[in-house]
Amino acid sequence: MKINIKHIARLSRLALTKKEKEKFTPQMETILESASVLQEVDTSKVQPMKKRIEFKELREDSPEKPLEQDDVLKNAPHNENGYIKVYGKIFGGIEES
Amino acid sequence: MMSEKQSNTNLESKYDLIVGLEIHVQTNTSSKMFCSCPTGYFQEDPNTHVCPVCLGLPGALPVPNKRALELCILMGLALNCDIDKEIHFDRKHYFYPDLPKGYQISQYKRPICSDGYVETVSGVKIDIERIHQEEDVAKSTHHVENSTGKQYSLIDYNKSGVPLIEIVTKPCIRSAKDAKDFATEIRKIARYLGISDADMEKGQMRCEPNISLQEKGKWEYKDGQILPIGDYKLNPKVEVKNIGSITAVEKSIQYEVERLTKELEEGKKIEQQTRGWNADKNITEYQRTKETADDYRYMPEPDIPVIEISDEDVDRISEELIEIPVERMKRYIEELGLSEYAADVISSSRESAEYFEELYNRLRKDLNEEDAALEASNWLMGPVFAIGNLDIEIEDLSLLILAFKEGSITKNKAEELLNQSVKENKDLSEELEKVIQQKEEITNNLDEIVTEVIQKNTKAVEDYKGGKQATLGFLVGQVMQATKGAADPNEVRDILIEQLK
Repeated sequence: MKINIKHIARLSRLALTKKEKEKFTPQMETILESASVLQEVDTSKVQPMKKRIEFKELREDSPEKPLEQDDVLKNAPHNENGYIKVYGKIFGGIEES
Repeated sequence: MMSEKQSNTNLESKYDLIVGLEIHVQTNTSSKMFCSCPTGYFQEDPNTHVCPVCLGLPGALPVPNKRALELCILMGLALNCDIDKEIHFDRKHYFYPDLPKGYQISQYKRPICSDGYVETVSGVKIDIERIHQEEDVAKSTHHVENSTGKQYSLIDYNKSGVPLIEIVTKPCIRSAKDAKDFATEIRKIARYLGISDADMEKGQMRCEPNISLQEKGKWEYKDGQILPIGDYKLNPKVEVKNIGSITAVEKSIQYEVERLTKELEEGKKIEQQTRGWNADKNITEYQRTKETADDYRYMPEPDIPVIEISDEDVDRISEELIEIPVERMKRYIEELGLSEYAADVISSSRESAEYFEELYNRLRKDLNEEDAALEASNWLMGPVFAIGNLDIEIEDLSLLILAFKEGSITKNKAEELLNQSVKENKDLSEELEKVIQQKEEITNNLDEIVTEVIQKNTKAVEDYKGGKQATLGFLVGQVMQATKGAADPNEVRDILIEQLK
């Protein structure tokens, strides 16, 4: 199973060195091959195993108290004026909703 | 206008315009799509409407909002869509700081609503491909640090997880104006049904047209798709983002028509791409090449169960469905005989439409259908809109209109009375009563008043009797003055002639 490591790295916004690419490519291919065993099982007559709920069981639309801003920012390595601050150039965002 | 004409001329020469529209609408709920954080983030401090779920913290689980899904279904019903029996959520992966989980919860293969349509004000039918439920992302702004020259982004997660529906049309739109009309219609419907305030400036509604030009006669629209005829190769499409107003929907498409026509004429190869609308320069600018669906690595969302929608659920939601603007407009034209213009203006907001109908129904008790509709629309679009609110009691306004129709008060006087009582906060029907009473008194005493005027103006009377017809006008004026304008000048004239015989 062949993978395009450059493309996958790009989608994850990772800048890999040539050496890293050479190292990761066979690793990822091995992972995919191991998982591909699952593809061989015929599941065409099997219902997906997923929990089902009725519409009325859904959460009612009533707001609850959110986190305090101070607590939110504790998880961020950098912040500025209440915003979470992220360094680095964000290149060519794939999508914004 | 100029550019529309130009582009049409260009199109007539060789190409057809093909547009599909994606419209995102933030729906009007109190809490977010998958957590109970409050929504109304406008002008709030950053990162104050967030919790572990919408921050994408490890282990947090999404719990879907019932109301949000009801509003999505309501929009589907309004646009004549089929409503699925089950709701399936999927993960759409991409890596960007505005998306803390690394994926957006959306819907891929099974949108809740599909295969609908809606008509625009000019009667063009727009086919709806799908409407699906998803969540909004955070707001990020990009900066450069002065001291270090480093690039950084500031992120506010308040918007992250706000319910968002995406309405996707089929590639069936053939002009910039139809695209604009469709977007206008969606905004009206969203507001009518309380689905969203759909304010584009606040980002509550976002339009993204997909635009391509194809050679005439080389393509066909079949099963909701654009297919090439023979060995023709379809030109790729351009998606335009960052459109902040309904007008910009039209303008950006017109701009693309001109740009693409030029590229094609110059024999350039058009690349599938995303462009951004620059509202200051009125142009679109290249942003990036478009990713394919594969790049999003869609997978079923394992944290949300399948949600079953019963017929009872759909029935309950349809109770909120009221006549949508374009249908109302049609009814006003066809059944009530309103002009297209009046019907469009009145039906454009739910408030004015409902006020009009109440006024019409009240007037209908005393007037025939045609007069009731005409008076209701004229009074609403004239004096009432000029006042700027719909607080005037229907009953009061109706009495005023009826008094005018019966001829007991002139239209000018009636409008004056309306404006005055609104301005001075007086009871309109009491004021009307006073004016009518005063008028009756004067009418009853008109003979006497005329006699008095004749006695006081002996010179004028002599002149008149001596053959100076013009003096009659002067005498009429004197009587009108004596009655403070309440008398009917024609009646005064008749009485004068009678008494001067």
